Amino acid sequence: MSLTAWLAIAVFATAYIVIVTEKFNRTLVALLGAAAMVAIGSVRGHEIFFSEETGIDWNVIFLLFGMMVIVGVLRQSGVFEFLAIWSAQRARARPFRMMVLLVVITALASALLDNVTTVLLIAPVTLLLCDRLALDPVPFLLAEVMASNIGGASTLIGDPPNIIIGSRADLGFNDFLVHMAPIVVVLMVVFVGLCWLLWGRRLRYDPERAKAVMRLEPRETITDMRLLVRVGVVLILVLVGFVTHAVTHLEPSVVALLGAGAAVLVSGLPHPVYLEEIEWETLLFFVGLFVMVGSLVHQGVISELAGTLTARIGEDYASAAMGLLVGSAVLSGIVDNIPYVATMAPLVYELVGPAPGLPPGQQSLWWSLALGADLGGNATAIGASANVVVLGIAKRNGHPISFWMFTKYGLVVTAVTIGLCIPYVLLRYFVLA
Amino acid sequence: MRAEQLAEQVPTVRPATTGAEAARVVAEYRLSGLVVAGEDGVPIAVIPGSQLLSLVLPQYVRDEPNLSHAYDEQGADELCSVLNRSTIGELLDAKRLTAAKPPSVYPEDTLIEIASAMDAGRTPVILVVDRTGGFHGVITLSRVLAAIATAAGQDSPLVRRRLERDVLHPHDSG
Repeated sequence: MSLTAWLAIAVFATAYIVIVTEKFNRTLVALLGAAAMVAIGSVRGHEIFFSEETGIDWNVIFLLFGMMVIVGVLRQSGVFEFLAIWSAQRARARPFRMMVLLVVITALASALLDNVTTVLLIAPVTLLLCDRLALDPVPFLLAEVMASNIGGASTLIGDPPNIIIGSRADLGFNDFLVHMAPIVVVLMVVFVGLCWLLWGRRLRYDPERAKAVMRLEPRETITDMRLLVRVGVVLILVLVGFVTHAVTHLEPSVVALLGAGAAVLVSGLPHPVYLEEIEWETLLFFVGLFVMVGSLVHQGVISELAGTLTARIGEDYASAAMGLLVGSAVLSGIVDNIPYVATMAPLVYELVGPAPGLPPGQQSLWWSLALGADLGGNATAIGASANVVVLGIAKRNGHPISFWMFTKYGLVVTAVTIGLCIPYVLLRYFVLA
Repeated sequence: MRAEQLAEQVPTVRPATTGAEAARVVAEYRLSGLVVAGEDGVPIAVIPGSQLLSLVLPQYVRDEPNLSHAYDEQGADELCSVLNRSTIGELLDAKRLTAAKPPSVYPEDTLIEIASAMDAGRTPVILVVDRTGGFHGVITLSRVLAAIATAAGQDSPLVRRRLERDVLHPHDSG
């Protein structure tokens, strides 16, 4: 490898370590890392802006951007608050039933929206419900964020790592539905059982307190029914756009952008309202990461690594898939799963290439990466961005959740869910393929 | 008009005062801000009156204002009783209230200097402290605006009466 390649590795490793320590703003570090890559001559403007392999993945950026705008408009309607309070009342304010319904709503919402947005919407209303019932909200918040990470794994747009994998592996919305959704449904059923064992059996029902929840007025939270109907229709059309990719050949990012434009048009909301929901910092973090990882690809570091791995793997893709599944789960618990997948996706690409047309055994590597990274996000408090967001909300509301408290439950949930994915991957892509 | 002429003694609360008592003081005396005084009676913090509203709002309602619509009348009234549970000192320590160290002006400062200090400090109440540290009282937003309106030729009988009583002939009022 050239001196520039070694310098690029040094820059990448340094930035990665600083991001993991969380001492500095991760976006700033990623952008500084990207700047350093340019400064050492590892990558140039043309590769950064115009190369699919070594530059910024605009499909990811604009898919995220479009969905953020749509969610920004949709949340103005109050529909999420309505759903949560309505479900609590359907559960007659019985704590475990309420937890199950909230967990299911969170998982479903996470499949359609990104996890951070989902927990931002569901956590405040959960705190309200627990406040009314004089219950500790911590078990509910933990269950919800973990359900969000599991539910988000089921679709292309549910979890940012999936968006990166989808773009790099050329996998569409339907591919994720076919390969990820079935196991996620099984995982959710098991997770509900885990919720009972970990928290539910200790929750106490107080009929007097329950009356305070039954008196809440969920319909009042829907402040603009017309807006809800209009944006609801746009969201359905966007989903149709994702599902019909094989016919329309519209990229998911283009569908999301068209949907965002339509949502803005039909809502009539002023631009500060929907622009406020766009997480510019997250988008810039992705930009910085893509430049850093792209630089490693451009310098041949990733193909070098892939060459070494290919020699070791040989034809034993089952072991490779298991290694990737378990290894990704472990590493995603230590590092936020977004930078992890941004680094690993080009490596898997070098190993097996784009997913369409691959034999099941080789394709399993892409799904193992997705399952490991998405579910590994539950392992620790810093495993996924949604975890960090929930910890922040809990602390602001006077219910701090420590790193170790999260990890204690997170490790159990991750071990069980990854444990279930192992036979799934082996059966589906090797034994029954 | 000088700061010394506009200075007045307003009711203050102590860090041990509960949130509910503080709200009563603000309402009773129609204050634009709450002045928190130390043991020696000298103000140590000024809290804009509107911030007291945020105290009855749980953080999750402030994060998601739509949730405020979900409460029925009884639920909403129950929330207000939360003001009895914490003291102003505790709320300041917990950063539920943000109080700037009260800005001050000198007794000889003019209306424009007072307006500038209040504007820069974004505070509805300002202290009048002389160069030796002696405390002369406070100036409230409504009193500054009354003086500004009068100086600008907006002479309302009510404003004039108030200024005459409090500022122009303060010794006659007692």
